Amino acid sequence: MAMDQATIELLARRAGLDKALAAFPEDVAAAAAQAGDVVERMKAPTDPRAEPWPPMRAGNGR
Amino acid sequence: MTDLHWMTAAQAAQAIADRKLSPVELTRVLLDRIARLEPRLHAFIRLDAEAAMAAARAAEAEIMAGRPRGKLHGVPVGIKDIIDVAGLPTTCHSKILMGHVAAADAACVAKLRGAGAIVLGKLSTHEFAIGGPSFDLPWPPARNPWNPDHHPGGSSSGAGAGVAGGLFPLALGSDTGGSVRNPASACGIVGLKPTYGLVSRRGVFPLSFTLDHVGPLTRTVADNALLLEVIAGHDPFDPGSAAAPPGQYASRLGRGVRGLRIGFIRHFHETDLPADPEVAAGLEQVAHSLRQEGAEIRDVSLPSLGEFGAVNRVILQSEAWAIHGPWLRERPGDYGRLARRRLLPGAFIAAGDYVQAQRRRLEMIAAVEAALCEVDVLLCASAMDPPSRIEDAQETERTYPRQARTPFNVTGHPALAMMTGLSSAALPLSVQFVGRYFGEASLFQVAAAWERAGGTAARHPPI
Repeated sequence: MAMDQATIELLARRAGLDKALAAFPEDVAAAAAQAGDVVERMKAPTDPRAEPWPPMRAGNGR
Repeated sequence: MTDLHWMTAAQAAQAIADRKLSPVELTRVLLDRIARLEPRLHAFIRLDAEAAMAAARAAEAEIMAGRPRGKLHGVPVGIKDIIDVAGLPTTCHSKILMGHVAAADAACVAKLRGAGAIVLGKLSTHEFAIGGPSFDLPWPPARNPWNPDHHPGGSSSGAGAGVAGGLFPLALGSDTGGSVRNPASACGIVGLKPTYGLVSRRGVFPLSFTLDHVGPLTRTVADNALLLEVIAGHDPFDPGSAAAPPGQYASRLGRGVRGLRIGFIRHFHETDLPADPEVAAGLEQVAHSLRQEGAEIRDVSLPSLGEFGAVNRVILQSEAWAIHGPWLRERPGDYGRLARRRLLPGAFIAAGDYVQAQRRRLEMIAAVEAALCEVDVLLCASAMDPPSRIEDAQETERTYPRQARTPFNVTGHPALAMMTGLSSAALPLSVQFVGRYFGEASLFQVAAAWERAGGTAARHPPI
């Protein structure tokens, strides 16, 4: 879901990005749009019990 | 005799060990070539010619005294500038870290030195291994030796340009979303993202802790196996390091592919991100050739590239935000525009979304593991397009995400990209092979078979 300008500014300030918001407002807006886009494209896990841990382990090759 | 600058690392190491080639002579030839081509290629952030010559003289003395150090004694190597080399700045190609001098060698660099390699210097990268080819940074972006008007891929751009351009036979890069395999694809060389945890990341500036890999870039498959044998191994100081036994990565290079089962992931380049026709034709040529050599080629399906890409981005940008948040808050103007735009999204991704991405990731790992139960190696596209013109920002922005490399950062499986041939515009086209965890020897086996059939090792840019 696309964020409106007020929400973007609110979230940016909450993240401490006041300087970026003042100097690079277009970059901040593009970043917010990109974040929304990738989260929207991500499918939820099919199993509600699926655990996120460990995030990455390839084993030990044996 | 082969021109010294096109000698493979294996050839050079053997000639040096046999006292038929002086490491001083080899290093001098490469430094001369670098002096001549660097103004066009911009492969280096920092060339350390004096230290390289001193190391070459020391190597020569050791060899003449009968004290060989290891497999790469006297062979020059370039290091991506996010990897620490003691006494040299690690800038990550960014104003943010200008003047930051590394106190110690990264673990992979220490292993290189232990094997006798000669460090030439630090190589260009996309800023913090995530920006793109940028013209608003303290150093210019590297360029493609096949045509300097074109992008050499990234983020290990200088590594790709320098290896392909004959400035050095070996380089170390890093790969979080494809950053070793992208320059390998764009520059027509061999780039490997090893199994997650096989090569230590200690001393490598992180981009995304659970996606980062260090990997070798070389002109031949045999050199790639040789370099991996030197840098692989458990490191108790890297929390992601795997306790895997050391591999004999070059052991099957000449074995051929008869009897191997190879899964062709066609939907990546046919429907998920339809590839340029010349890229698609190159992939068909590789599959046809391997079938003729006795492999069984069968179609395999995985989750779509869009799904893999979204999971990769959510994880990468969340983890990168944890690293870059303080600088993005205080010094946003010290980043180039591309890196700033690619790092800021992490500020807008919720913790729950990051956890969901990690949960979904485990399902994607299961999907690739299931596919690799049915076949020995996977074959798929790397880049969907030939390299873009470097100053065409719009085209670079369009083509950059059109790739099939990020799935294997998400899953951690080893993946190798190499040349299939040249486009009608004389630019490299590529293929990717993917193996089981710690199955790098099988990857090299298949890649070497294609290298022989396609004659790719003998193709050098006209520079």
